[in-house]
Amino acid sequence: MSEQAKQNIEQAFHRALRASVIRAPEDVCAIAPATGPELGGQPGETLLVITISTFVFRLLTLFQLAANPATRAYYVSEATGQSLDEAFREVANLCCGALNRELSQHFPHLAMSIPYSLSRQCVAFLGELQPHYLSSSAITINDTVQLQATLCMCCSAPVDFVASAPD
Amino acid sequence: MVRATRAKPTAKADQMDAGAEGARIAGDLQATLLRQTQELADEVARLKALALAFERWHQDMISLMEQNRGMRGVGEDLASIVKQLIMLSLNAAIEAARAGESARGFVVVAAEVRSLSLRAQTLSKDLGKNLHKNDLMTTATFQDIQAGGKLMLAAISGLESMVRQLRGGIE
Repeated sequence: MSEQAKQNIEQAFHRALRASVIRAPEDVCAIAPATGPELGGQPGETLLVITISTFVFRLLTLFQLAANPATRAYYVSEATGQSLDEAFREVANLCCGALNRELSQHFPHLAMSIPYSLSRQCVAFLGELQPHYLSSSAITINDTVQLQATLCMCCSAPVDFVASAPD
Repeated sequence: MVRATRAKPTAKADQMDAGAEGARIAGDLQATLLRQTQELADEVARLKALALAFERWHQDMISLMEQNRGMRGVGEDLASIVKQLIMLSLNAAIEAARAGESARGFVVVAAEVRSLSLRAQTLSKDLGKNLHKNDLMTTATFQDIQAGGKLMLAAISGLESMVRQLRGGIE
């Protein structure tokens, strides 16, 4: 996997995150590199996994968020009666949908799985998948809501592409 | 000159024969193409049943994850029992030490129980880690299969559309 492809996928993912994890356009979303895929072992963390696959690679996207009152208040609408897991499932789906659309400009045969929830301890074993690219980002919304997003890409053939950032 | 006037009707007849032959061949070709297009359409329709296999795998995956969750629950219970055993063996060792010379044999037993408890704790932790690893690898594999299934179904839909266009062109 080329360095260029790694950068392009990460940038596309960040664009998808900025477009989907905030609830209102005026909300501030800050994305910074994280040292590892673990959010910090906060109790009640939610871990959602969605895979985008094509013939030459599979790209796992993992989302972690602490089930604290600030996060719950941000994502869960009292009127819907949804759990945080259910509410964030929609957000993660939107994010991966946006990433999928952008990548499909370079890889015509691309498809996305449905989200699955896993225990937060599972994230420590990503290395077992022998990824060619593993990168985590810490996301802070309005200085209160914190989440972590990880890309884990396994390739079965050389991957390289040049992305043109959308307007 | 005579030869020319005689040859003309023959050429015309030959042309008519050739035209009829051409039409017959074209008709045969069209019929063959229509038949083959229908066979292709039938095959594509059969391939669409793959969606049923994907649905079955989805259900299997849910069952597998449920089973893993159950095993994790058992693993957590085991970890809790092991923790209590360690505490118990520690207390037994303290009590045996307090009892002095008369409980020398019991000191050995308490130490052995403690050693076994610690080994059980290591095994219990390994079991927990393996179950988490198993969950991740199962999910990653299944999601890849699931997305791959969608790729195949999209390709089949593309084929279906091409067959429709092909049939329209032939007819």
